[in-house]
Amino acid sequence: MAMINELKTFRPHGILIAVALSLAACSEGGTSEAIAPTPEQPPTAVPPAAPPPPPAPPTPPPPPVVVGTTTLLETPEQVSRFLIQASLGEGMQTINDMVGVDATDWVEQQFALPRTEFLQPLLNRQEAGDPLTGFPHSAQFWQALFDSDDVLRQRMVFALSQILVVSDLVSGNERPLEIAFYQDLLSQNAFGNYRDLLEEITYTPAMARYLTYLQNRRGDPVTGRMPDENYARELLQLFTIGLVELNMDGTPVDSVDGQIELFDNTDITGLARVFTGLGFSGGATIFQSFAEDRFHTPLIFFEEEHSELEKAFLGTVIPAGTPGAESITLALDTIFAHPNVAPFVSRQLIQRFTLSDPPPDYVERVATAFETGRFTAPNGTVFGRTGRGDLEATLAAILLDPLARTDPAQLPDTLAKVREPVLKFVQFIRAFPFEGVRADDEFQLFETSRGEDGLAQHPFRSPSVFNFFRPGFVSPGTEAGAAGLTAPEFQIVTEGNTLGYVNFLTGFVLDSFSGGPNNNLFEPDFSAEIALAGNPEALVERLDLILTGGRMTDIERAMIAEAVEALPIILEDQDPLQRVEVAILLTLSTPSFATIR
Amino acid sequence: MEPFNRRAFIKGSAASFAGAASVLAGLGSGNAFASDTSGYKALVCIFFFGGLDHADTVFPLDQIEFDQLAAARNGLFGAYSGDPLFARTRSNILELNVQNAAAFGGRTFGLAPGMNELQALFDQGELAIIGNVGPLIEPTDRNSFENQTVDLPARLFSHNDQQSTWMALDVEGAQLGWGGRFADAVISSDTTANPLFTAITTAGNQVYLAGEVARQFAAGSVGGALDLTITSLEFILGPGQRGIDQRAAVEAFYAQDNFGNPSIMARDYARISSTGIGNVRGFNQATSNIVPFTTEFPSTPLGNQLKTVAETIESRNVFNASRQIFFVGLGGFDTHSAQSFELPQRQVQISAAINAFRNAMVERNLWQDVTVFTASDFGRALIDNGDGTDHGWGGHHFVAGGSVNGGQIFGDIPQPDASLSQYTPLSGRLIPTTSVEQYAATLGAWFGLNSDELLNALPNLTRFPNQTIGFV
Repeated sequence: MAMINELKTFRPHGILIAVALSLAACSEGGTSEAIAPTPEQPPTAVPPAAPPPPPAPPTPPPPPVVVGTTTLLETPEQVSRFLIQASLGEGMQTINDMVGVDATDWVEQQFALPRTEFLQPLLNRQEAGDPLTGFPHSAQFWQALFDSDDVLRQRMVFALSQILVVSDLVSGNERPLEIAFYQDLLSQNAFGNYRDLLEEITYTPAMARYLTYLQNRRGDPVTGRMPDENYARELLQLFTIGLVELNMDGTPVDSVDGQIELFDNTDITGLARVFTGLGFSGGATIFQSFAEDRFHTPLIFFEEEHSELEKAFLGTVIPAGTPGAESITLALDTIFAHPNVAPFVSRQLIQRFTLSDPPPDYVERVATAFETGRFTAPNGTVFGRTGRGDLEATLAAILLDPLARTDPAQLPDTLAKVREPVLKFVQFIRAFPFEGVRADDEFQLFETSRGEDGLAQHPFRSPSVFNFFRPGFVSPGTEAGAAGLTAPEFQIVTEGNTLGYVNFLTGFVLDSFSGGPNNNLFEPDFSAEIALAGNPEALVERLDLILTGGRMTDIERAMIAEAVEALPIILEDQDPLQRVEVAILLTLSTPSFATIR
Repeated sequence: MEPFNRRAFIKGSAASFAGAASVLAGLGSGNAFASDTSGYKALVCIFFFGGLDHADTVFPLDQIEFDQLAAARNGLFGAYSGDPLFARTRSNILELNVQNAAAFGGRTFGLAPGMNELQALFDQGELAIIGNVGPLIEPTDRNSFENQTVDLPARLFSHNDQQSTWMALDVEGAQLGWGGRFADAVISSDTTANPLFTAITTAGNQVYLAGEVARQFAAGSVGGALDLTITSLEFILGPGQRGIDQRAAVEAFYAQDNFGNPSIMARDYARISSTGIGNVRGFNQATSNIVPFTTEFPSTPLGNQLKTVAETIESRNVFNASRQIFFVGLGGFDTHSAQSFELPQRQVQISAAINAFRNAMVERNLWQDVTVFTASDFGRALIDNGDGTDHGWGGHHFVAGGSVNGGQIFGDIPQPDASLSQYTPLSGRLIPTTSVEQYAATLGAWFGLNSDELLNALPNLTRFPNQTIGFV
C-alpha cells in the first residue's frame, strides 16, 4: 500500500494554534476543561427564543486513566489495535507497514481519500438492463466493507446507519436505489457536518418512507385528522437531543425532581406540522409522481398540503404561514442549537468505535470537539472545517483521544467495546489476503440478521428505528450490568446467538466445511499461517496480533494451541490447513476477539 | 433423556450478579415468601412491539359509538374501504357475546375482521379482554394528568421507554422485569426447579424476564436442532477420515467460561457464550425429543415462537420445571402509516397462532395450566393522521387460557370520543384506568405468588384500591 509509505513521511502543515493537548495536565488528574482548550468562544448554541436552563455543574469525574502522550503507533500491537478501532480490519502486511505511522496522519489521510459510490454503480447496472431485483444494494455495501480503501469513511457510514436508522425491510421495488441514495448521503457527509446531514436525510425518500412522513398531509379541522408524529418524535428522541437534559459529559442533569424531560407530546404535535406536505419529486400533487428517479431524488414540498398553522416546540414558535422548506430549516436550526446535541451524538459515536460505556470525561472531550467544531491532536494537527457539528473533528477526537490510545493493559476493567457481529465478520474477512470475494455470490450474506444462524445484525436492515441494540442498554444478569455499564451490543449477545455466530463463521472459515476451494466462493489465502501449522504457539501468536491486537489471555492462547495440537498432521495436503482453520475459528470465538479495547 | 442436574443450574445462574446471594439469604430468612409451586403453571407473554392500535382491534358496535369511531378515523376507515374483507364496516366486525355486558350498560363489542379464532375463544369462555390497561404510578385522570398532580410514569409515548415500563416498571435501563421477579419468587420456593429454564424468551434479550436469580434463556425463534457445526459434523473433526476423534479439545474450548480476561465485558461474553452454547444444545436436544403435536402451528413468526413455547412446556419434566414464564414477541405495530395494510395481516397472525397454541395445549391436557396474555408499548391515539395512528398510552389486551374467566371484558372500554375525560385532549390518547401492575398482579396471583411476593415485584400496587382484577 503506497499510502502507508507516504504517511510515514507526512508532516502536518496545518498547525495553526499552539494549543496542543496538555497531556501532562491530564495525567495529573486535570479535568476535561484542561484538555480541550479552545481559542475562541464557542458559537452561541441557542437562539434567544429557546434559552436552555443553565446546565448543572457536572459531577467531577474520577481521575481519568491517561498515559498516552502521543498518537504514534510504535509497535505492531498498537497498529493492530488502532486499526480494529478505526478501520474494517487489516492483515499482517498492512500492520507491519504501519509501524511508525502516527495515527493522526492516518486519520487525516483517510479523510482525504476518494469516496466509494453507492447509487451510481446501481444506476449503471440498471442502465445495462439489470432489473436490480432483491437486495443488490446490500451486497454492494458488504462489498464496500470487504474491499474499499476508504475504510474510516465506511466505518463512519456504518456507525451513522445505526444512529440515523433506515431499513431495507421497507417493501418496494425501488428499495435498492432508495437505500443506495441514502448510503451516498451518509457517505458524503460522513466527514462533513451533522447539521447538514440532518437536513439532507430529512428530504430522502428512504427516511420519509421509513418514518412515514412521505405524503404526510396537514391536519384537517373538519375531520380532525392530525399530522403523522413519527418523524417529529424520533428526530428529537433518537437523532438529536434524546429525552432528558444532558451535561456536556453525556450524563443526565439531575434536578431535585430527578431527570429533566426535554419535551412532552405538545412539542411533538407542534413539530409534526413541520413535516407535512413532502412528496416525491416530479409530481403534480403530493400523491402523484411517476418520475423514474423519484426514489433517489430529494423530496419536494407541496405547499397546499403543508400545515399553515404555527409550529410550536421546544420553546420556539415558527409563525403561521411559514412555507415548508423554510419551516424545516428553522426547525432543524432550533433543534440543532440545543446543547444536548453534542453529548448525545458524541457518546453514541464513541460507542460505535471504541468503548461501549465511555467514561464522562471522554464523552466531554469528544462533545467539546463537536460543539466547537475543532479538535487538536497531540502533534498539533487541527481537525474541523465546518464549525459546530463538524464530524471530522468529532471522529478525530474519538480515535485520537488519550484514553483510546492508552495501552489497554492499563485500562480499568470497566472499559471495553463489545465488538459488533458485523464488524467481527468484516474484520475477519479483511484480516487475510483474499481475491475476488463477490458478496452477491455469497448466499450466506443475503440475510444475516437472524441470530440462530447468522450474525444477529445486518447493515441497513434494522428491525426498527431503534437499531439492533440501544445505546442505553444495560445487560441484565451480567457483571457489566451489575456495574451499571451500558453495553448496547450485549442486547444481541444471547445464548442462541453465540452459537449461531460460531456456526456462521464456521461456514466461512472452514474450507473443509464447504468441500474444498471449488465450492467455496470465499477463498482466503492462509499460506502464511499454514507455514506455522507445525508450531501452534507461533500460529496462535500471529492470529492474536492480527485479530485482537495481541490482547488474548494466556488461557485463550493455551486452549487454542492445545486444540490445534490435538489435530494430527496425517494428510499433508489437508491437515495443516485444517489446523489453521480451527485456530482461526477459535480465535474468532474468544472473548478477547469479541471485545475491542 | 436425563433431567438437567443441579450443576447445570449453578453454572447457569452464576452469570447473575445482581446480588443473588443476598436475595436468596433474604428469602430463606422468614416465611413471608413461599409461592405455591404445586403442579405446573406457565405464563406466556405475547408482546406487540411498536404499540398495538387497540381501537382498531376491539370495536364498539353500538351504532352511535361506531359512528363516533368512524368520524374520529375518517382517513383510516377510508384507507380500509377498498378491502371487502377488512373494511372497517359495522357488518365486518366480529361481534362478541359478552357475558358481563350488563356491567357496560348493555353496550356491544366486537373484534377486528380476521380475528375469528379469538372471537370463538372469547365466546367459549377461554379468552377475556382487559380494557384500557397501561403504565400508571397511581390512579390518574385527565385533570390530574394535565395539572401533574399525580406521579406519572416517565417518558410517556416513547417506544423503548414504555416497552421497558410495561416489562420492568421503569424506563430503558431497568434491570429487573416483573416476569423475572415472578420467576425469582417461584425459584426460591421450589428448590428442585431448574432456574435456567424458568424464564424463556423466543424474542431475544428482554428485560421482562430479568430477575435477580432468574436468568432468561433465549431459545431460537425458529426451533430446529441447533448445535455446533464444527463438532456435530462427523466429516470435519470426527474420527472418520483420520481414525482419530479430534473434537475433545475444541469442545473444551467452547465449554470454557473463564479465560482470565481483564475486561468485565469480555468476562461476561465468556460466560454467555459457554453457558449459551451448552444450554442451547441441551435445550434443543430435549425439545426435539418430545412426541410431536398433532396440532399444526402456522408458519408465521408468532406461530413459530408459540410452537417453541409449546415444545418447551411439553419438555417441562426434563427441565424439572414446575413454573415457567415465556416471552414471545411480534413487531410491526408502529402503524403511523399504511395501517390498513400492516395491521390486519398481524391480527390474522395473532388469532391463528394463539388458537394453534391453545389447541396444542388442549391436546396435552395443559390448557388449564397455561395463561397467555398480551402486552405492547402503548395503545394509539384515537384521532388518525390520514392512513395511520400515533403513539398513545392505555390500550386493550387479551388474556387466554383454560383458567381464564373468559367471555368477559374487564377494566374499561371508553367510548370513542376524544372529548371524554378518559382521553388526553385533541388526539385522544387513552389515560389508563387499570395499571400494568394490577394486570401483572392478577397473573402473578394465579401463578402462585403470595401477596408479599406480589408487592415485592410490583412496588406501586398498594396505591391502587383493587390489587387484582379477577380475570384469572
